[in-house]
Amino acid sequence: MTALLSVEASTKRFGGLLANRDVSLTMDPGEIVGLIGPNGAGKTTLFNCISGYMHPDTGRIVFDGRDITHTRPERICHAGVARTWQVVRAFGRMSALENVVCGALQRTNRIAEARARARELLEFTELRGKDDMPAATLTLADKKRLEIARALATRPKLLLLDEAMSGLTPMETAAAVRLVRRIHAELKVTICVVEHVMEVVMPLSHRVVVLDYGVKIADGTPDAIVRDEQVIRAYLGERHAAR
Amino acid sequence: MTELAQAVVNGLQMGFLYALVAVGLTIIWGLMEMINFAHGEFLMLGMFGAWWLHAGYRLDPLLSIVPIALVMYAFGVLVYRQLMRRVQGGDPFTQIFATIGLLFLLQNAVVAGFTSDYRFVNDTFLQKLGGARLTVSGVTFAVPLLLAAGLALVLFLALYLLIERTEFGLALQATSEDRDAARLVGIRPQRMFAMAWGLGAALVAIAGAILVNFFSVYPQVGLQFTVLAYAIVALGGFGSILGTLLAALLVGVIQSVTVVYLPPAFKDAFVFASYLLIGLLRPQGLFGRF
Amino acid sequence: MARIALIIGALAAVLYPIPLQIQGTTYYQTVGFLVFVNAMLGLGWNVIGGWAGQFDFGPQVFFAVGAYTAALLYVKLGVDAWLGLPIAAAVAALICAVLTYPLTRLRGHYFAISTVAIWMIAQPIGATWEYIGAAQGLFIPVKPRSNVVSAALSLQFAGPTKALGYYYAALALFALTLGLMAWVERSKLGFYFRAIRDDQEAAEGIGIDSRLYKVIARSITAAVFGAAGVLYAFWALSVFPEQVLELNWSTLPIMATVVGGIGRLWGPVLGAVILIPISQIMSTTLGTGPLAGRGIDLIVYGLIIVVIAAFRPTGLLSLPWARWFGRRRSALA
Repeated sequence: MTALLSVEASTKRFGGLLANRDVSLTMDPGEIVGLIGPNGAGKTTLFNCISGYMHPDTGRIVFDGRDITHTRPERICHAGVARTWQVVRAFGRMSALENVVCGALQRTNRIAEARARARELLEFTELRGKDDMPAATLTLADKKRLEIARALATRPKLLLLDEAMSGLTPMETAAAVRLVRRIHAELKVTICVVEHVMEVVMPLSHRVVVLDYGVKIADGTPDAIVRDEQVIRAYLGERHAAR
Repeated sequence: MTELAQAVVNGLQMGFLYALVAVGLTIIWGLMEMINFAHGEFLMLGMFGAWWLHAGYRLDPLLSIVPIALVMYAFGVLVYRQLMRRVQGGDPFTQIFATIGLLFLLQNAVVAGFTSDYRFVNDTFLQKLGGARLTVSGVTFAVPLLLAAGLALVLFLALYLLIERTEFGLALQATSEDRDAARLVGIRPQRMFAMAWGLGAALVAIAGAILVNFFSVYPQVGLQFTVLAYAIVALGGFGSILGTLLAALLVGVIQSVTVVYLPPAFKDAFVFASYLLIGLLRPQGLFGRF
Repeated sequence: MARIALIIGALAAVLYPIPLQIQGTTYYQTVGFLVFVNAMLGLGWNVIGGWAGQFDFGPQVFFAVGAYTAALLYVKLGVDAWLGLPIAAAVAALICAVLTYPLTRLRGHYFAISTVAIWMIAQPIGATWEYIGAAQGLFIPVKPRSNVVSAALSLQFAGPTKALGYYYAALALFALTLGLMAWVERSKLGFYFRAIRDDQEAAEGIGIDSRLYKVIARSITAAVFGAAGVLYAFWALSVFPEQVLELNWSTLPIMATVVGGIGRLWGPVLGAVILIPISQIMSTTLGTGPLAGRGIDLIVYGLIIVVIAAFRPTGLLSLPWARWFGRRRSALA
């Protein structure tokens, strides 16, 4: 099976800081891949490169057979990649429904059709009844759902979730995890999740990729990852590595 | 060739004066991100103040810089406290709107008090030096303009030191970068903004007092300087005081060189054409932090 | 409620000048003309400024482009206004698109200055370009028209009903613009513009080409400004650079839009209806007589603007009208 996404030796530098160094990874259709690593490991930079907001200095990114290394974000969305943001970015002055309509308009020019699809997705992400509320007035958890609904409206093949669970209470987090599972099962979307909360990522992912200081240090099943020496050292420091 | 060199030299001298005009805006717009359509009106008030003190009390414009600076500082603070503070949080367009209203108010208050007649100051200290010239390798420096430029440069440097080296200046920069973080270290943002407005107004009014030696004084004189000042601040990269100086010098030179080859109506057009060119090649201005 | 207000407003607008005409005064019709021209300009500006959220202080350039294009077509080729207007609007939109596309690389304040830059460059060009009349500009001779319809279509009203004719022409163009803007607001364009305004990068992430849509927004603004320019040209019967490139052609509509409510469809309309008559009244009462030439009218105007900005920055449309009118109704019940 050819990979849906293939990142090949991507390197990104900001002045003196090497945010991503020679990072390579693949994602197969239908996977849920967890992307973890300590703060500053380069996870968001990688997301930004994949979604087109930044371009790698060297290396290549191939999505669905197309080289998207130097493509602009809107064209990458058109190709089938959608993302959410670490700090949530809803269109504050528009209503929840209007937010999702904007996403749906990527795939249709007819407003009525876009509205219908938007309502469906608001139902799907359990934002029922909040259609007409201005997005800025929603709670954080709801805003994150809204961002997901808006991203889903663009009919992505790959969904990048950047810390979609951060700032949520345990109940909200559990609900978010259920949503991700439903997206995967019912909408058949390949998902990549950046997360800090281990209890969330491990059960959810088929495969986990670990970054540390811009370098990929591990890539395997969750079980293998928790036992990986380098990963333990990166998170907990030298003293714990021996265990 | 010397005609060109002469134009460059004249342009540089004007540039220092422009720098003083623009630096007040650098503080208000570049650091505080507040739009002020009435910037040129503060300049006009400075010019009228200098003219009035000279016509009524024979006070030389160079000396009237002090009272004008103090009065306009207070006025700037007043404008902030009574008007700009209320529109600060909202839509930037409301700030534009508010300062356009201020423009109407100020310009026409002066028209009401003094009519739209053009006025001149005569026999000022600088003007008395009018005949004196300094010639260096074929290029002539008119002493009045040279001295004015020198004064502008000194004041500009004083401001630079104020912003970069004093506690007040650092507090101002801190407030512009992160208002809440500034609060956490004991800075009061409202006070900073008020002082910034006072400082900005005072600076451009001082520039007006100097310019009165060379330009005629009338209520509508402000707008051309407002437009030019915005171009200079943007060219220099917002918030960069050094950038403002360099951009102002560049603008002065472009203006005077353009006049050598084209009708004077084109001098500002060329400044803005250069702005577009530079803007497209370097979107964040010459020194901007984007 | 809103529908009733709309019908009353429309009726008032249509019937307003008739009693005045019978009386013989034309001044108030001209005020109405100016209200609708500025309301139309405000509606146009609202697209790039209110919906797309870009600072644009240069659309007066396209007002001039429209005026000059239609004037040239009429003077050199005898093309009447009904055909000249759409052509002029299209030319304005096209020139705008070409000029604006490279500028969309600039963000925020930098973009704003670039719009001013184009205006500053246009001024000496307008003043020195011989083909369009340089500083003298172009004169639009009035040809006698055989009937009302012909006069209306060529925007050349004459005689005692001249001001009346222009009033209705302005009203018609305004209504057309209002309808078009209402359609744009509900269309894909409207959604995309507002998305760019709220968060340009997030908008790009859901597939919106922000550069393209900024160009489209600005071009719509340019088309409206161009059309208004044509109307103005045939009313003033002359087009010269100092007049049509005046900054007021954008600052007044911008102020009207901000007063009324930026980004709201009826914002510019409300603002123009309030601001223009006030400035005219100020000008005729305080600007004439013993205080003439002293700018008192403009001082008061400026004061009003400052007060509105200070105390109701979100515009007058955001006042709780529904609550006020709702309460009144229940008090009657």
